[in-house]
Amino acid sequence: MTSTILRRIPVGIGIALCAVAIAACGSDDGDDDSGGGFASGLPVEGAKKGGTLKVVSASDVDQIDPGQAYYQLTYLVTSATQTPLYAYKPEDPETPVPVLAESDPRVSPDGRTVTVKIRSGFRFSPPVDRAVTSKDVKYALTRGFFPSVANQYVQNYLGALEGTGPVVEGDTRELSGIQTPDDRTLVLRFTTDIGATAAQALVLPASAPVPEEYARRFDAKKQSDYGFNQVATGPYMIRNDAQGKAVGYQPGRRIELVRNPSWPGAESGDFRPAYVDRVDWTIGGNPTVIGRQVLNGRDMINGDTVPAPIVKQAATRSKEQITFTPLGNRFIPLNMSEPPFDDVNVRKAVAAAIDRTRLQLVRGGKLTGKVATHFLPPGSPGFEAAGGLEGSGHDFLAKPEGDMQLAAEYLRKAGFSNGRYSGPAISMVGTEDDPGSQVVLDQFRRLGFRVNYRSLSQEAMFGACAVPARKVDVCPNYGWLPDFNDGYAYLYGTFNGKAIAPQQNSNWSQLNDPRINAAMDRAARITDPEERAEAWGRIDDQITAAAAAVPTYWDDVPNVQSRNVRGVIARWNGAWDLSFTSLE
Amino acid sequence: MAGYLARRLLWVVALLLAVSAITFAIFYTLPSADPAAMRAGRQPTPQLIAQVRENLGLDQPVYVQYWRYMRDLVLHFDFGFSYQSNAPVREQILDRLPATLSLTGGAVVLWLAIGLPVGVISAVRRRRWPDRLAMGLALVAISAPVYWLGLVALYLFADDIGRFPLLPGANSYEPISQDPAAWLGSLVLPWLVLAASFAAFYARLLRANLLEAMSEDYIRTARAKGLPERQVVLRHGMRAAITPIVTVVGLDVGILLGGAVLVETVFNVPGIGRLAYDAIRTADLPVIQGTVLFGAFFIVVANLVVDLAYAWIDPRVRTA
Amino acid sequence: MALLEVEGLRVRFDTEDGPLQAVDGVSLSVEAGRVLGIVGESGSGKSVTALATMGLVPGRIEGRARFEGRDLLALSPEEMRRVRGHEIAIVFQDPLSSLHPFYRVGRQLAEAVRVHQDVSRRAARARAVELLGLVGVPEPAERVDAYPHQLSGGMRQRAMIAMALANDPRLLIADEPTTALDVTVQAQILALLRRLQEERGMAIVIITHDLGVVAELADDVAVMYAGQIVERAPVERLFAAPEHPYTWGLLRSMPRLDVPRERELVPIPGRPPSLVHPPGGCRFHPRCPYVRDPHREVEPALEPVPGDEGHAVACLLDPATRRRLWREPAP
Repeated sequence: MTSTILRRIPVGIGIALCAVAIAACGSDDGDDDSGGGFASGLPVEGAKKGGTLKVVSASDVDQIDPGQAYYQLTYLVTSATQTPLYAYKPEDPETPVPVLAESDPRVSPDGRTVTVKIRSGFRFSPPVDRAVTSKDVKYALTRGFFPSVANQYVQNYLGALEGTGPVVEGDTRELSGIQTPDDRTLVLRFTTDIGATAAQALVLPASAPVPEEYARRFDAKKQSDYGFNQVATGPYMIRNDAQGKAVGYQPGRRIELVRNPSWPGAESGDFRPAYVDRVDWTIGGNPTVIGRQVLNGRDMINGDTVPAPIVKQAATRSKEQITFTPLGNRFIPLNMSEPPFDDVNVRKAVAAAIDRTRLQLVRGGKLTGKVATHFLPPGSPGFEAAGGLEGSGHDFLAKPEGDMQLAAEYLRKAGFSNGRYSGPAISMVGTEDDPGSQVVLDQFRRLGFRVNYRSLSQEAMFGACAVPARKVDVCPNYGWLPDFNDGYAYLYGTFNGKAIAPQQNSNWSQLNDPRINAAMDRAARITDPEERAEAWGRIDDQITAAAAAVPTYWDDVPNVQSRNVRGVIARWNGAWDLSFTSLE
Repeated sequence: MAGYLARRLLWVVALLLAVSAITFAIFYTLPSADPAAMRAGRQPTPQLIAQVRENLGLDQPVYVQYWRYMRDLVLHFDFGFSYQSNAPVREQILDRLPATLSLTGGAVVLWLAIGLPVGVISAVRRRRWPDRLAMGLALVAISAPVYWLGLVALYLFADDIGRFPLLPGANSYEPISQDPAAWLGSLVLPWLVLAASFAAFYARLLRANLLEAMSEDYIRTARAKGLPERQVVLRHGMRAAITPIVTVVGLDVGILLGGAVLVETVFNVPGIGRLAYDAIRTADLPVIQGTVLFGAFFIVVANLVVDLAYAWIDPRVRTA
Repeated sequence: MALLEVEGLRVRFDTEDGPLQAVDGVSLSVEAGRVLGIVGESGSGKSVTALATMGLVPGRIEGRARFEGRDLLALSPEEMRRVRGHEIAIVFQDPLSSLHPFYRVGRQLAEAVRVHQDVSRRAARARAVELLGLVGVPEPAERVDAYPHQLSGGMRQRAMIAMALANDPRLLIADEPTTALDVTVQAQILALLRRLQEERGMAIVIITHDLGVVAELADDVAVMYAGQIVERAPVERLFAAPEHPYTWGLLRSMPRLDVPRERELVPIPGRPPSLVHPPGGCRFHPRCPYVRDPHREVEPALEPVPGDEGHAVACLLDPATRRRLWREPAP
């Protein structure tokens, strides 16, 4: 459940394991070498071809159907087996590069039409074994709307396509809003001007082509099992039998990837080198044991969370076996829909009071991330425009260790004459096993707040905080991993007033500022990457200035490799890139 | 006898029905997570949630869902599909069964082979140093948390990460049909860890039972007949002392067949226990339901077998 | 020579309250082919005496128990084992608890045979059937496969006797064999024992608290109190001319046919003494109606009764006084 909402790193577990090693992690990091010596995870020259790469993960992927895949972990597989229209190069998480597409998407001036031209040369793996056409991309995107597939993000970003209604109802399999005038052209028509943002979403695996004549019978079932029979267009494929059954995937146990014989390789324009011959992925076990096995063994890389003791061990004794990649953000949303956090001064006071270095410490110290000064994390487009690492100098975020004096001042401005909060009690829901929640609770109390605090499991915490009707004031254990690396994906769901939903709400601050909303709408329409980054960076700053939430932390995700592995990190995913990693 | 058996089998069915109903009820009444919402992602449109809900059959009232589940189960032996991975639950469980059977079987043999002789020696040498040593070690073995013991075993003896690389470490399980040698090697450490606390418990249990049995009058008679002490202990004493052991073994095996979660997780043995654990973590009801039913089935059957065995062992029970 | 001669037997148990002297200087003898009855209350040491000679009793044992000249107490455990169930056999009090509940009766009998005789299973089983028939169990070929709980009390005891006879013992020790049975069955069992004894010329030591049993079966009697023998006599002499006040008490507390029913039974006042801290002097003195001061200090020894062959008593009263007291009704 943890991963489903936050989609990726099991947040609670990672923190819990860190908390266990807090003395170890924290105390050594006083004057720590977080700067240097770790593996860079960048692509290398002269990498060797061949061998079997072994991936070990404690948890399973979610839906292995690329039209349903949603976990960071699953993306490791889909980015190796599928060829979406666009993709990120491992070292550059900001710029989507055409892969199946031939060139950047063309967005019409009114923002309602997106046209993509696709390359020839790509083929489906056996048993389908034929050339990919634009119709296959159309089917891939359409099936995301089928009830039997029910893709989790397609309706968000492409839901404005014309004609999705009947498809969602199950009345038809034909999505009128996607047209294919010829085998190499795809035209998407939207009912609103969301085109520029929708185009960004085409990096997602749902845009990887799916052969309708083959997949139809699987999609016709109540719940599609195409995933267990999928074909591939990428350099690798899940090992399958002659009928197409993906026997290489044993849920909860194993994934076996082999080379896709139909993949055209570099001559088609695909930038993926695909060094290793096979990938043997085992699922399950204790994360610390797995970490040790990776560090001590050969040919191995981790799939999911690396627990704190392993991070410490690698970071001190075998630096070239561990890399750190920034991914996602963490912040403390403050419920602005009712007092006391409807008052900006109270919010700024809280923001000033939070000691973010202490939060960093309990999470495991400098190795595990950086103190945040705004919301877009390093590596996202707009990060620099929002102020970069230092931030843009808002006074209530100027001191990472907190500024109690400033907090008192703001409280006085809010009408609490003695600089301490003396209003009604507030409600706070933290996560058990999360020491950060405790720290935040502490700091609120130091400001004079009386707090009705509950510590719940991750799921229950989400159950309370994601439902506005439950009226929780503060939920300290929140953060965001975007669906794709774009300002919209980071900030819309979390800070746009229109995103507030009665159930499964993601805008926990319930920020509903018309100017910010309008700015987001405008930024969503921008097609030029630089302009877009600039615009979203400024929006980030606006949200920061409004103190809708307290930005606390930008995670650095650790990943470990065996000694003989030349691992390459897909920075957009914070995980290894199977198509670039090689063995010595 | 036939009547008794028939009644007991009816009880088995009734119990399994009750277990399945209660599991269903728990899942739906406890405020953990809405599977449709989970499956639908983070910012789902209301339509998507509704779509998923309908597809998973969650829009129906609980009793309708229960009825559908039971109908599919009884008529087609269909346990539904995992919310998490969409894989058919029945296949997943059957796929995991051999590993659990291997783990349980080996552990039982080991803990009986260790525990019973230790128990006998302890009873016969009561209060002397073999007894005190054995009972002391037993106390430690029972008290040690299994998970911790497993980790310690790996960090000491695993051939990939251990200090004294002796035995295959975690994640080395192969099905016996594929590689018998690897299968055996991968299970030695898990067997030892799993058997440790059980062996200790059984040693203590047998010791207590045997001491009691040996104070009975028929032991005096056996000695008066001139039987060698060894036969007095083994043939007369053990025969009586073993009865509670048989009961407990049956129940323990029944429980373990539902999956030894902790051992399976530490050593990454792909058994039902691990499957259940993963399912609980991700609120995957169909899988949870399936593993719970399987576990309940084994326990109930084990109970039945134990009762029958008891009647076979203790003739006084038969005529009752 | 007597078949069994016990000399100065002492048995001590170490208990939490201190050392308990269960048997304190017992000497007796059993002639071949004759029945010795040992009589006493619970705790008098009568069972322990018999079991100690067989090595079936834990605790510290001193003294000698010569069986056909061999001192049983000096034998090695292995040698003793060979005697048990073979030359000397025991029948215990409660056959339901003394037989193993999980094994069939025939198997237990056959086991008794095979311990001491090298015969096949089939032969042992045949012998088991034969033995059951011998002790009067009807349809022995069927009963041989019964479990103990499937037999009546009387049948069970017969089976135990059969088991004891499996290897033709020369001495049978019967420890309260009829106590757990009801009266009619008691009579049958006693009759059985008598018959077997006559047929085989077997010696029997019968341990009981019931003088009636002694009267039925015994040739000689030893009366025990607090771990010691207080009187010893041939059975007719004991009933005709008992010498010890304790024996008088026992006799008076027994219902008799030749005495009017209206006459009340007179129990012996008081309780048996603690064997951890026995009374000084004569052990019976706290309960003896004829106690005199010296009796509290001086321990009486077992001495022959003048004029009565084979009769001995341990009492400090002089014989003439005793005779006079016995003839007078109780105070």
